[in-house]
Amino acid sequence: MLGCAAEIDDHLNRGRNMDTRTSRACILDAGQARVTLGAARLRNRSYVGTPNEDPLACGRAPADVPHSPVIDDPAELAAFTRWDSVAGERCIAESSLRIAGMHCAACAATIEQVLKQVSGVLDASVSAAAQCATVRWDAGLTRPSAFVRAIEAAGYEAVPDTAAAARALRRTESRSALWRLFVAAFCAMQIMMLATPAYLSGPGDLAPDHKRLLDWGSWLLTLPVLWFSAAPFFAGAWRAIRQRRIGMDVPVAIGIGVAFVASSGAAFDPGGVFGADVWFDSLAMFVSFLLGGRYLEMRARHRAEVSLEEATACLPQTVVRLMSDGTVEVVNAKRLRIGDLVRVPVGQAFAADGVLAEGATEADESLLTGESRPVEKRCGDAVAAGSLNLQSPVLMRVDRAGPDTRYEAIVALMRAARSQRPAVLASADRWAAPFLWSVLLLAGAAGAAWGLIDPSRAVWVVVSVLIVTCPCALSLAAPSALLAAAGTMGRRGLLLRRLDAIQGLAKLQTLFVDKTGTLTEGSLRCVKTQRRDFSDAATTDESLQGIAASLAAWSSHPLAAALRDGFKAADMAWHDVHEIPGQGLEAVGTEGHRWRLGARLWVGARSTADADGAQTFLGRDGRVLARFEFDERLRDDAVAAVRALQADGVRVCLLSGDDARRTQRIAATLGLASSAGGMTPDTKLAAVRSAQGRGEIVAMLGDGINDAPVLAQADVSFAMGEGALVARSQADGVLVSNRLSDLVRARALAKKTMRVISQNFAWAAVYNAACVPLALVGWLPPWAAGFGMAASSLFVVLNSLRLAGPLTSKPERALQARVGAWTSSTC
Amino acid sequence: MDILYLLIPLSAVLVLAILGVFAWALNAGQFDDLEQHAEQILAADEAAFDRHQAP
Amino acid sequence: MVAKAQAAAPVTYTDETVRGFALAAVLWGVVGMTVGVLIAAQLAFPDLTYGIPWLSYGRLRPLHTNAVIFAFGGCALMATSFHVVQRTCQVPLFLPSLAKFVFWGWQAVIVLAAISLPLGYTQGKEYAELEWPIDLLIAVVWVAYAIVFFGTIGRRRVRHIYVANWFFGAFIIAVALLHIVNSAAMPVSFWKSYSAYAGVQDAMVQWWYGHNAVGFFLTAGFLGMMYYYIPKQAERPVYSYRLSIVHFWALIFTYMWAGPHHLHYTALPDWAQSIGMVFSLVLLAPSWGGMINGMMTLSGAWHKLRDDPILKFLIVALSFYGMSTFEGPMMSIKTVNALSHYTDWTIGHVHSGALGWVGFMTIGSLYYLIPRMFAQTRMYSTRAIELHFWIATLGIVLYIAAMWIAGVMQGLMWRALNADGTLVYTFVESVKATWPFYVTRLVGGLLYLAGMGVMVWNVWKTVRNGRALPSPIPRLAYA
Repeated sequence: MLGCAAEIDDHLNRGRNMDTRTSRACILDAGQARVTLGAARLRNRSYVGTPNEDPLACGRAPADVPHSPVIDDPAELAAFTRWDSVAGERCIAESSLRIAGMHCAACAATIEQVLKQVSGVLDASVSAAAQCATVRWDAGLTRPSAFVRAIEAAGYEAVPDTAAAARALRRTESRSALWRLFVAAFCAMQIMMLATPAYLSGPGDLAPDHKRLLDWGSWLLTLPVLWFSAAPFFAGAWRAIRQRRIGMDVPVAIGIGVAFVASSGAAFDPGGVFGADVWFDSLAMFVSFLLGGRYLEMRARHRAEVSLEEATACLPQTVVRLMSDGTVEVVNAKRLRIGDLVRVPVGQAFAADGVLAEGATEADESLLTGESRPVEKRCGDAVAAGSLNLQSPVLMRVDRAGPDTRYEAIVALMRAARSQRPAVLASADRWAAPFLWSVLLLAGAAGAAWGLIDPSRAVWVVVSVLIVTCPCALSLAAPSALLAAAGTMGRRGLLLRRLDAIQGLAKLQTLFVDKTGTLTEGSLRCVKTQRRDFSDAATTDESLQGIAASLAAWSSHPLAAALRDGFKAADMAWHDVHEIPGQGLEAVGTEGHRWRLGARLWVGARSTADADGAQTFLGRDGRVLARFEFDERLRDDAVAAVRALQADGVRVCLLSGDDARRTQRIAATLGLASSAGGMTPDTKLAAVRSAQGRGEIVAMLGDGINDAPVLAQADVSFAMGEGALVARSQADGVLVSNRLSDLVRARALAKKTMRVISQNFAWAAVYNAACVPLALVGWLPPWAAGFGMAASSLFVVLNSLRLAGPLTSKPERALQARVGAWTSSTC
Repeated sequence: MDILYLLIPLSAVLVLAILGVFAWALNAGQFDDLEQHAEQILAADEAAFDRHQAP
Repeated sequence: MVAKAQAAAPVTYTDETVRGFALAAVLWGVVGMTVGVLIAAQLAFPDLTYGIPWLSYGRLRPLHTNAVIFAFGGCALMATSFHVVQRTCQVPLFLPSLAKFVFWGWQAVIVLAAISLPLGYTQGKEYAELEWPIDLLIAVVWVAYAIVFFGTIGRRRVRHIYVANWFFGAFIIAVALLHIVNSAAMPVSFWKSYSAYAGVQDAMVQWWYGHNAVGFFLTAGFLGMMYYYIPKQAERPVYSYRLSIVHFWALIFTYMWAGPHHLHYTALPDWAQSIGMVFSLVLLAPSWGGMINGMMTLSGAWHKLRDDPILKFLIVALSFYGMSTFEGPMMSIKTVNALSHYTDWTIGHVHSGALGWVGFMTIGSLYYLIPRMFAQTRMYSTRAIELHFWIATLGIVLYIAAMWIAGVMQGLMWRALNADGTLVYTFVESVKATWPFYVTRLVGGLLYLAGMGVMVWNVWKTVRNGRALPSPIPRLAYA
């Protein structure tokens, strides 16, 4: 059993491009030999940094395991699999999967057993709390699709975990932060114990030898604090100095450094220039508090990232590609190349931009143009990626390939969220440099002055001045508030990509809103049922609706879906059901009549004059019985949300690419000030620019591809969670709940956040104004300075945490527990 | 208080040892996913003893 | 190897040792408390034992303290730690034969103590009276105990080490360290040794040991028990697992330096006394954090207390823990200590912790554990447990109330000064005044002992009706 573990360790350590140190959690007796790998400590690599290996490059691939183009495709594998060793006979990989359907720890154990029984799986570890699984497998013996199938056979769902890289990074970050904090706090406590005798003893009580012993002990215990805990401050300060600017870390690092050097001098040479007082306890204490504040901040940031990931995990997209020899193959959408011929069935989105090569259909391009009516497409017409094929299956030729992968979108979203410097922080940075310079100058001046007045106190005054000026309050004031608010918003349906959005949201004056998919839901709704035949007194509107809904269940057409969702299906048994492309559904009902649901003429209507908008007809034995008219459905809370915003002083304007008349109708329902239909992306952009030109702070809420440029232009922009990927990636925030009321609540929270930030800045200013003079005059010993600085940062962080809100509701608490698990999961 | 010459070095060594133990625990993932472990001890393993036969 | 093949799939836990320690705990509890009742009676009726040397108060008192702490408490801790570590790691004990050695070795220690202490062999250090040969035996048995415990953890099938095991582990290591340092002695004959330390240095080491013995033996170890048996009996998870981890580390942070509070106004330097005071006060926070965590485990299920006497024992134990960890820091404040030192208030404080926290936690845990060690789910009689609870609680209340009043009274009497600076009361007058409280305390102790008698009956019936069957280890290990 020990041999097995050593062998795997060997594989890992020889693994290419991996700079890892694994820790073995436990090794069991032979019968249950299971080597549980603890977390790998990653240094320079992300989880998926390793260039992915095509399993065939290993020289072996399992012949008897079916290959799934979806999951087993190397391009897809790269997102959730890490290759450990490719040399020699074995290719060992480690894949991360997200599991759905687990309720408890017992489920986790079941899934683990199931996985281990798949031949080729070396080890599996499942976490119920984090809802994910890590599987080590041999590429020569099995494929991921095999063990995914095994999980599904057991009754659970598994999808590739594309966020594993980010999670691993968060775990590393969180562990390092916890380690540093623990070392600082623990050593601070012990140092405090060693330092207390000096405080408590009267003159002459404490023998000098004993005092020196206590000081040396304190010195020794300060070393871990400097080495582990204070390292980020020194590193940050060094980086800043190299870049010839002055960051927050600089005074902190100088303060710590000076305090340590002077205390060491006092400890080892009490009669020397540094005097006999040591301040190791203050040093350790304020390092602890600083790290404590940063730790809380990090946890808030992680929670925001996790919410983002949870919202966007899903299966990869597949398409059906027509080969030159006439056969078809199902491939991953990422694999499409220019010139490929792709079969697009009814109801599916076009996976790439191209032209129709064969067939004719109608496409739903609302995401692209805002146009809610289907657009006719004939052979040779261009089709766009993301539009829906509504009417009949067609063949398209790919013109532009390389769709943006969800994985890339997630990573990009998160990188952006992590690295953006909001303007409000930028303004803090603007202050920071002059502030810090003045602090350094003051400290230097004080040192010089005291050097003349009373040299033994000079060092301590300098240290006190450097430490008491809490740059940390300044550096924490805005970020802690923004992060806490972002976290709360994330829990309540609005995920922020840029923290800056909070400021914009609080200050916005005009909100431009898109119609289709934003104010209205993506799906259609049956708004009108018009009976065409009144010969049968027994039939009612409801019975016809029921029959239509029942028959519609046999089709996946969007209009059929609307019928199904809108009406309660009648209890009818159909046989001989056919779906004729371009026409509709035909079937024989229980009483023997032949029913048709679909296109006007095919069902039997003679007249052509009907309202615009989508419609479908229901007929029996060639006679039209009813006409169903469909329209977009306004979101449930749209009216309330608009009213709330207007009451709050925001001007709401509707910009739509759809028909002017329909736009006008919606605007009237909502009570909007102004609306404009038939707009193109350019005209929308112009509208926004002119508003900005008038000095207004403009926000945009949209969902379609046509909104993307506008989203980029507006001062602050939001995309609907159901919207196009490109819209979501351009916006400052994503309304993942798709509830407009969440935006309204977010605005209220944003305004509160700005108030909290002002409070924090005010506090920092008052505190510094009060304490710096005290320190200069020599009335603030370093221990008090350290305590003040620590308490001050803690105050700021706690004030900001008011924005995080109490977790009173059980669902929120449960989500919190799951989210908490995600920030430090073991997968 | 010469006993301090024993107690202080002893506590310093103890602190370093405790830091070592914490480092081990942290790296072994002992502090990950905390809340689920409170439930785990309640899992139905005790049901086994109720009406069991000797193996 | 045949053995390896057979050990391939461990099927049952190693519960023989657990059973042994659990029953031994009950036995030694009765023995230790009987001695306690006897010496309480002697304080009220000094001629009770006719001057027989090996029944004299001076020799029996350390027998009482050692029996209740190391025999009763020690066996309980060993029983529960072996039980908990196996159940939470889902493996049998490491080296079962070594575990047997731990059992018999510890019983040997107890018996030797029971023989040597009445015979007058003592080192004179509180809670460390046993002479050097027994100290060596303790060290050997303790190392074996550590090997079995940590070895079992090392072989665990469950990756996460449940928090109770951290408390047990800290207790084991701390006690080893304390014992070895404090018992360092130069032997001069088989039954006589001299401490390696002298004078005030010895006092400092002794009370560093003494208080940490309380802190780790009687607190950390029993907190380990608490974190397992309360959730199991209440069938609810610990209120906040994260808090329990923080609680553990916070306790470890602060316990080491509270010792000097035993030495206020002695030859110990003033600053050392002050440190003891300060850090004893600091200790309040982590202790109460743990108490709240344990109690809030019942949040949403307080009604269970009505009908479940075992839960009553466990939860009331926690409240006594809270009370003692509040009273203790208060008493370590120098001004308060000036009144309380050497009085019976200290005894009251010790016994609220010992009878309330340690005793009740042990009793509750044993009532959970013993039936399960004999293939049953409940003790023979739940009503007997209920009776035990009320008798014992009444006993504690009488005990500590008597000692509080006596203690404060003694302190006030001893420091009462006449205008000219002479003492108002002679010492014997304070003894006379204390007498009724000694009798009350004796009654309280008898009640507590009677409760233990009920427990013996209940345990006897349970064991008679049960069978010592091996417990299977579940197949699936949770991660």
